[in-house]
Amino acid sequence: MPGFNDVLSSLTTTFLDPSKRVFVGYLFLAAVIGALVWMAQGRSWRHYPRAVLSRRIWWSPSARADYQILVINQILFLFLAPWLLSHLTLATWLFEQLHRWIDTRPSVGLGWPDWSIPILFTLSLFLLDDFARFWIHRLMHRVPWLWAFHQVHHSARVLTPLTVLRTHPIEGVLFSLRSAVVNGVCIGGFVFFFDSRVDLVLVVGSNVFVFLFNLAGSNLRHTHCYLRYPAWLERWLISPAQHQVHHSAEPRHFDRNFGAVLAIWDRLYGSLLVSEPTAPKRFGVTRRRRPGEQKLVTLYGSPFLQAARVIRRWVSVRTTTIKQVNKEGRAHG
Amino acid sequence: MKLKHLIVATAVASLGSVSAASGDHYADFPVTLNGYDGDATTSVAYTGQMARHVLHNSLKKLAGSGTGDNADELLEQMLAYFEGGDSLDIIDPASKSGFAIKQSEVDAISTGKNLSGKAYGGYVTGWPGQMTGAEVLRFMIEKAAETEGGYDPVNGYNYAQLISKFAMGAVFYNQAVDNYLDERIEGDVKPNDKPYGEGDHYTGKEHVWDEGFGYFGAPAHALSLDAATAYSIAKQDPDVFDEADYNGDGVVDLVTEMTYAHAYYAANADKGGQSNYLNTIMQAFIDGRQLIADADGEKLSDDELDQLQGYADTIKSNWERVIAEAAFKYAGSVYSDAMALHEAVEEGDSVVDLMPTYVKHWGELKGFALSLQTGGKDLGSVGVQLDRLIGFGPVLLGSTQVTGIDGDGDYIQSESITLKEYALNMLEVQKLLSQNFHLVARSNDRLGNLESLSEQLESGANVEND
Ligand SMILES: [Zn+2]
Ligand SMILES: [Zn+2]
Repeated sequence: MPGFNDVLSSLTTTFLDPSKRVFVGYLFLAAVIGALVWMAQGRSWRHYPRAVLSRRIWWSPSARADYQILVINQILFLFLAPWLLSHLTLATWLFEQLHRWIDTRPSVGLGWPDWSIPILFTLSLFLLDDFARFWIHRLMHRVPWLWAFHQVHHSARVLTPLTVLRTHPIEGVLFSLRSAVVNGVCIGGFVFFFDSRVDLVLVVGSNVFVFLFNLAGSNLRHTHCYLRYPAWLERWLISPAQHQVHHSAEPRHFDRNFGAVLAIWDRLYGSLLVSEPTAPKRFGVTRRRRPGEQKLVTLYGSPFLQAARVIRRWVSVRTTTIKQVNKEGRAHG
Repeated sequence: MKLKHLIVATAVASLGSVSAASGDHYADFPVTLNGYDGDATTSVAYTGQMARHVLHNSLKKLAGSGTGDNADELLEQMLAYFEGGDSLDIIDPASKSGFAIKQSEVDAISTGKNLSGKAYGGYVTGWPGQMTGAEVLRFMIEKAAETEGGYDPVNGYNYAQLISKFAMGAVFYNQAVDNYLDERIEGDVKPNDKPYGEGDHYTGKEHVWDEGFGYFGAPAHALSLDAATAYSIAKQDPDVFDEADYNGDGVVDLVTEMTYAHAYYAANADKGGQSNYLNTIMQAFIDGRQLIADADGEKLSDDELDQLQGYADTIKSNWERVIAEAAFKYAGSVYSDAMALHEAVEEGDSVVDLMPTYVKHWGELKGFALSLQTGGKDLGSVGVQLDRLIGFGPVLLGSTQVTGIDGDGDYIQSESITLKEYALNMLEVQKLLSQNFHLVARSNDRLGNLESLSEQLESGANVEND
């Protein structure tokens, strides 16, 4: 049974582990980049700390909901963790299955230099992970009962770096499943073909590509710092501004820029939108605030009701159609 | 107490009978038997076990020496080493250039010893024919005599490996953990205030403990050796001769200075740097022996018996893991061999070189897997799974496998799984062993990289959104 100390250590890990997005070092870097953007916009650096540390942001109902969700999720996932599919289980399964699917176990890359396979592995892992993030994200916007859960993330009115953890637990479970599949497939597949030569290129415990992404101010995407990249670069990498567009309450911004790091997936699926000169006016699911929208009960409970409604509607439509078909069948018969 | 041991040791050393002695040496424990007035200076005695080690080593050599037409003669010779005989030469370990051995006859170590009388008496479920441990060994010896080099290519058996690895369990491990370190270290059996036997100069408990130690097969000065050296001594590597020859008399004494059997496999596992079986077991043997010496010829108290039981438990659990580590290692080899064979068959390449290696590794795997089940404790479902995954014989090229023995003692082969499926069985064997015996050395780990990569990647909860 996880106890208080486990919760505490899991919370500190969230901020002190460089493999986490909200690691204090990355937050600090984001603040520095934010300052440069601020001054580049012609404003005095003197006003920057007040703007960044504004009570209107950090103590807004939306931000307070972020904090509560952060703590509750930590506790919840301590209990859920043992039941989540581990990527080792999946990697082992795939490794054994590959023996059956592929006639002989080929020795690939025998002549390649030793460093090439770790780099290939690390890059593949990053690409597959980034694509899977994009794909699941897109799915969460397009499938109504999934959107019911994902809209919790979008219900933030104010963006703070902690909004990245504003996730409904059901969505969290799907994310762990996604990681398990991505990691399991990469590990199982690579070890089958390259055996003991596979290794991971890590920088301070995280994938080197993820590390670079975080170093480049990944946390700015959930802030009000409207950092745009040149249009050509925004066709390759999702800028903080582009993700803020994704959070915009303007209907014309809906369902754009699903990508995490790379913009190429959005381009492939036609959902890319490069940033406009001005920042979105409002963030959130709707333009108008709804009463109680930042309450925990609403955030955790309403997705279930909404999902149930969607499913009930779907079932009733189906049964009506079946009745219709039966009736027509009899009429014709 | 330790002081007393040291004083005696120093006294003995000064007499010139040993060059040096220290607390980490399994030797020179004093005579404590009350009323003893003979001239023995130490109560340590385990020559009977060391005679069995050379019988075992020699038997292994013989099992691999068949020519195909000396069956009767070879059988008789092997049985002499198995069941005991007069004036037997030590075939292995024998003197070689750069590595001189003190004894050349078994009787120079101890007389009247055999292996058959000490072999496991329970049924061996992992071998066809419903036989006891002793019967299985005899059966294998008879089969070995008919082969060329101990190798049966038709059924996939390497008898030198099978006999050796199974004998290590059925005789040495079984005797030590199921007999000497088990019922015989209880209070009323072989008490410490009486001689072991009529006229002996050592007490009951002293000798029981010594016998257990002898079966392990470590040199008395093993604690002063690193794993690689202890390992190379068994290989009679001239480079480690000086380390082996502890008393510096220019020859290696087969009683106190040689590495055999499980001590050799403990060192083999430890030289990878992940485990410390040899030292752990050795230290527990020395600590237990010191405890008995400290009792000074009195009956052991309940407290002392509990402590001794604690040392025995350390020895038993680590010894079991040594065997499991060896089985794990060879399961990894068999996996690779089976995959290589499968590939050769698919591509139409020759299997002439691959087959003997596969069969050899399989014999080692099978021998150790059978040995694991001779420790006197029921392994339950783990034992059943091991037997099923490995089978009575290796899967052969035509996807057949030995499944039994007929009335004439001939093997019966049946349709089985493919070589590739059998290779996958070996992965299951590795999983089963590492989970159930908490293995750490894990040589030839075929799933190890999956695990270490998985550990490097964050698992489980991940609520980071985008
Ligand atoms: Zn979204
Ligand atoms: Zn977001």
